[in-house]
Amino acid sequence: MTDKQPRSRTIMVVGGGIAGITAAVEAAEAGYDVVMVEKSPTLGGRVAQMNRYFPKLCHPTCGLEINYQRIKKSKRISLFTLSTVAAVKGSAGAYTVTVKTEPRFVKTNCTACGDCGQAAESEIADPFNYGMKTVKAAYLPHTMAFPMRYVVAPEVAKTPEGERIKAACKIGAIDLDDQGSSFELEVGAIVWATGWKPYPAENLTAYRWADLPNVITNVEMERLASPDGPTQGRIVRPSDGAVPKKVALIQCAGSRDLNHLAYCSRICCLASMKHAAYVREQVAEAEVDVYYIDLRAHDKLESFMRRLKADPQVRFVKSKPSRVEPGEGGNPTVCGENTLTREVYARAYDLVVLATGMQASVSEDGRLAGSYDDYGFVFTEGETIGAGVASGPLDVSMSVQSATAAACKAIQVVSGVRG
Amino acid sequence: MNAPSPTPTKKYDLSFARWVYDNIDGGDRMALCMQCGTCSGSCPIGTQMDHGPRKLFMMIRAGMKEAVLTSNTLWNCVSCYNCVVRCPRKVPVAYILHDLATVAVREGYAEARNSDNARFAKAFWWSAAKYGRTDERLVTGKYYFSFGIGEGYKRGMANLPIAMGMIKTKRMHLGMPHKCSNTGELHKILAKAAEIEARDHGKQG
Repeated sequence: MTDKQPRSRTIMVVGGGIAGITAAVEAAEAGYDVVMVEKSPTLGGRVAQMNRYFPKLCHPTCGLEINYQRIKKSKRISLFTLSTVAAVKGSAGAYTVTVKTEPRFVKTNCTACGDCGQAAESEIADPFNYGMKTVKAAYLPHTMAFPMRYVVAPEVAKTPEGERIKAACKIGAIDLDDQGSSFELEVGAIVWATGWKPYPAENLTAYRWADLPNVITNVEMERLASPDGPTQGRIVRPSDGAVPKKVALIQCAGSRDLNHLAYCSRICCLASMKHAAYVREQVAEAEVDVYYIDLRAHDKLESFMRRLKADPQVRFVKSKPSRVEPGEGGNPTVCGENTLTREVYARAYDLVVLATGMQASVSEDGRLAGSYDDYGFVFTEGETIGAGVASGPLDVSMSVQSATAAACKAIQVVSGVRG
Repeated sequence: MNAPSPTPTKKYDLSFARWVYDNIDGGDRMALCMQCGTCSGSCPIGTQMDHGPRKLFMMIRAGMKEAVLTSNTLWNCVSCYNCVVRCPRKVPVAYILHDLATVAVREGYAEARNSDNARFAKAFWWSAAKYGRTDERLVTGKYYFSFGIGEGYKRGMANLPIAMGMIKTKRMHLGMPHKCSNTGELHKILAKAAEIEARDHGKQG
């Protein structure tokens, strides 16, 4: 594409998490038309599912709210939710992208009044809360949803319950005949901001997440601590709802492990320190043990670690636990070797949190981005542009930087200046 | 391989560590150990080892040859393979311990030669290599008498009731030792294996 001018100056952003949102608003505010494609019914991605960010412990509402405002103000951004990229043809400057949209069964005039949710009787697993609770079959994906529109679950759309949901809507926003659609778009550049998914904890058989209720993952901890989560923000043991007094945080659960994820997921150390802070903030007498191989708190994040290290009720144990066993009363016992003292320990806890790593979420989608690294992350080279965690494990602030860089690259492509 | 391992003479002498990387089964992967403690924590008898595999690997890097080759960690491994399965760096921990044990015996460390496991392994191998089968009476006898005639007699007598019970229930026989059908061929195979080991052991790739 050195000599020919791009046929389309539109930039497509695939994925509506913090990286996709950032790439879209940056490109739009620089004067380019942007098409956003998001798989779920709402923007926000994994960030919306968090309680707070490290290191300042701000609520994700802040960052998302500002960016939603920027999207609303921009006339250049078109958003397709419940949509995925099915095929990509052509090359940089002249792509033809096939987008497939699943039915939402709710039209754009929805005011999110919630009458349909009242009328719904069935409950479905709530993906926003990682299945830790259920939602009504007509639901708002989460309190920070964008667009602020309800969704009717496809399970009930064609049933008598669907008719009752439709009848409950006073403004006629329910469309049970919604078939979804498939259409083609001409774009000049594609930014892949497809994000990540948590590494499946059931693969870590020695840590017993699958059968011990009081062993949870770090993403589940975020939901437990969130005011809009399954417990309204109270950190409790899943088995009996009791307040945990002794909590273990296990680092590198899957990451830096050739049997699972060979790479360091980069965010888990700080995420776990944040979890230690959540617990200490809520439960005055709680003791938290952080089991680690190395603590990777670089640059400005080190001050967050120092703050926690000064807390006598937070203990850092240099050890990768070998296993978790069921102890008294079904409570998990963490076993391993303290590598500084050579003590072989077995300690009982009320709650064990596994810092599971980040896995690229696009590996099964037919590798549409073209260029990937050995671990399935999008590798930015040539015509391929990755943003955020789609391109490798990053925290929120680094994702935003990566997305801005991706927007810049996409602008170069559609302007025909990239050689 | 059969040349003795080098003995470090000064601080930060990596000669022994490098020799282990190059000559011990799985030693090349040992270089990737990140000291996480999964192996020693997974070990069912980790509390009965003086050092445990993780610390032993660090001692190899530190050039502590004497302490490594006299460690009971080499002999207390029960080959459960928990460490091998769980090691996040895919270090074949158990293989390394077994091969270091062989080195310790070959290089004449008394702690190694006199360990129970070395005596038993020797008796077991003697029977397996000679007959192609292990004979309970010969293996046990050889093992017991490796402690001396008096001690061997004492240990044998202490186990007599068990032996009688086994004979009664036909779990142990009284005739000639069982053999595989062609011991001559077996001996040739083993001689060839020893030749290949002397030639290729420690070669990578």
